[in-house]
Amino acid sequence: MKIKKSVLLIVLASVFFVNQVFAHHVLGRPSYSLGEDSNTPPSMQVETQTGEYYITYMAFPAFPKPNQSGRVNLYASRIDNGQTFNGKVTFKVRDDSWFSSEEEILGTQEIDDGVYRQGFVFSKAGHYIVTAEFQAGGEPYTIDFPLRIGEPDSIGPIGIAVVIIIIVIVAVNITQRRRLQRLKAKQHHSDRV
Amino acid sequence: MYESLVNFINKLIYVPDEGMVHPGLPAGWVAFIFLSMVVIALRYIFLSVKPGTGFKYPIINSFIKKIVTRPWLLVSLRLFAASIFLIVIYAGLFGTPIPEKNIATVLTWTIWWSGVVVSIFFVGSAWCAICPWDAVATWLVRQKLWKRASETSSLNLRVPKILRSVWPALIMFIGLTWLELGVGVTVSPYATALMALLMVVLATISLAVYERKAFCRYFCAVGRTIGAYSSIAPIALAPVNEQTCAECTTLECYKGSEEIEPCPTHLVMGRLTQNTYCTSCGACSMSCPHENVSWQLRGIGSEITQASRTTALRGRVDEAWFILGLVALTIFHGVTMMPYWESTIHKFAYSIGDSGQLLLSFSFGMLISMLIPIILFIVAIKLTQKLLSNREEYNRIFSSLALSILPLAFTYHIAHNLTHLVRESAGFWSVVFNPLGTNALPLSMGELHMRHMNPLIADNIVFALQGLLVIFGFWLALRIAKHRFLQITETNKVNLIAFMPMMLFISMISLMDLWLLMQPMVMRM
Repeated sequence: MKIKKSVLLIVLASVFFVNQVFAHHVLGRPSYSLGEDSNTPPSMQVETQTGEYYITYMAFPAFPKPNQSGRVNLYASRIDNGQTFNGKVTFKVRDDSWFSSEEEILGTQEIDDGVYRQGFVFSKAGHYIVTAEFQAGGEPYTIDFPLRIGEPDSIGPIGIAVVIIIIVIVAVNITQRRRLQRLKAKQHHSDRV
Repeated sequence: MYESLVNFINKLIYVPDEGMVHPGLPAGWVAFIFLSMVVIALRYIFLSVKPGTGFKYPIINSFIKKIVTRPWLLVSLRLFAASIFLIVIYAGLFGTPIPEKNIATVLTWTIWWSGVVVSIFFVGSAWCAICPWDAVATWLVRQKLWKRASETSSLNLRVPKILRSVWPALIMFIGLTWLELGVGVTVSPYATALMALLMVVLATISLAVYERKAFCRYFCAVGRTIGAYSSIAPIALAPVNEQTCAECTTLECYKGSEEIEPCPTHLVMGRLTQNTYCTSCGACSMSCPHENVSWQLRGIGSEITQASRTTALRGRVDEAWFILGLVALTIFHGVTMMPYWESTIHKFAYSIGDSGQLLLSFSFGMLISMLIPIILFIVAIKLTQKLLSNREEYNRIFSSLALSILPLAFTYHIAHNLTHLVRESAGFWSVVFNPLGTNALPLSMGELHMRHMNPLIADNIVFALQGLLVIFGFWLALRIAKHRFLQITETNKVNLIAFMPMMLFISMISLMDLWLLMQPMVMRM
């Protein structure tokens, strides 16, 4: 049980660490695809491996807007024999911001043609984490996936970088000015003596 | 016999059942490269090498002189590079997350990171001169476009002794590789932009706190990689007339002039024995009152092969570890792009209960992959030390002979990057015209196939270049190794038995590089 808990922690940590991601051959990072000759919007896909299961999560459309309906599809199959998980999956969602802990249940879904489908409509733009939960073999599985609604708000990283740089430059300037003043005072003092 | 060799090689090529991969070297090319390597090996076993006079040709026509002694070109290039860099950050943060449609990922990973290694062969460490990380940091801290700033713009502290080596750069390089291949920064415009911002912040802090350019000298993984490779490049900044430097007492190249900054990495042109730390910033060429510094063409690897015994034995252990790290990391890059890497990591992760991005399993794979060449090199050096009659100190042999494996990392790095550059940069113009990828859609399977089938250069030319690079790397590695033996032992003839461990190590790494190049390679984006 302890091992399982740590496994779940690693999954959560890894998804949090890279909450805005994409990939072709990097597991756990979203990739974006378009079917050949398809006129449908692109879909976002994340593949991950947890415990006994290989999980594929897809979001339609890849870049949903506020008040636009979309859905997530979840595929879970055993790693050892490829057998599809047949049970119930609960989908929850929470705001992926530092100070938010509110979680909302989107719904609980049963398998339909090998897929767990969950619809959604978000009223506010932002970064969200969709959590899929299920029980298999007496063990709880919790997998987090990122979902972005609307346009990104990426002032944060630039703001942090600018603030750090300003603090460093100002601190260096103040220190050097004080040092110069001390030196001048010392020189002035020695000239008078 | 040739046919059976080709058949044998074909058996060594892994053909994946599914997925889109770049083709590896065909068996015919592999056979040719292998036979060439055998001939070169025999030549270095049975024939002696001569020290040679060392070809040097300063490029000092009036145009080049204007370029190296006036700041306008350098400043223009720095402004251009910095503008592109800021666009990359903006596009990464605010553009589409589809990696192949965002200029941040395409320009950073497919064009720049692949191309910068190739560029070293033609322009040495010139990239460092226009590096936007340093340019932006310099403008922020020094608050001057190019002129010498006041002493008060920085704390000018000495770098702590513990950091005065290239260990920080090696650790950063390992970290960047982990982020690149494990976390997958290469397929994330957002993460790419964050990394770019982080680099600017690090360069700025370093410049504001430490004297001169400690970031370039000690911490920058890219700068140190370029520096290491450029020591074998056929072009470098050097004195036009060595006598002029010998008679110089003012040392503007080191101290700077009233208008020009001093050398950012504490180099004195007249005493320069290795080009590793030169960032080609041009401060020396602009400040020299005799206009005695210019670009110089020279023999490939001559900086190492022409070194004196004192220089050869004065090699630094941290630099040797950096080179060894380069060899290990370049091989690891190749390994992770093999079709079976992913399935192996999945199986391993399942067996140890790893989840999510499988970073634990990836890190373990990376550690093992890096340890193998490192252990083999240490064994080779230990054996060499035992077999050498004059029993030099281990660290001296280690640091001296590490330079002989540098061409292996350099040539494989270029050969590997050629595939990315030629086969994955097809969509470059589309991101130039739409850098943020506004309303862009992911590539359809049809478009992917089209890109895959239409590389920038014909397959056979790529194969020929890769083959020549492997042969060239092997030849240069053996040449440098043999020269180093002569320098260490101070004799005219190499002790063949003592030479064998290094010869075997170089052969093993070259064959590994060849094997990696003949395997199909997974597409990055």
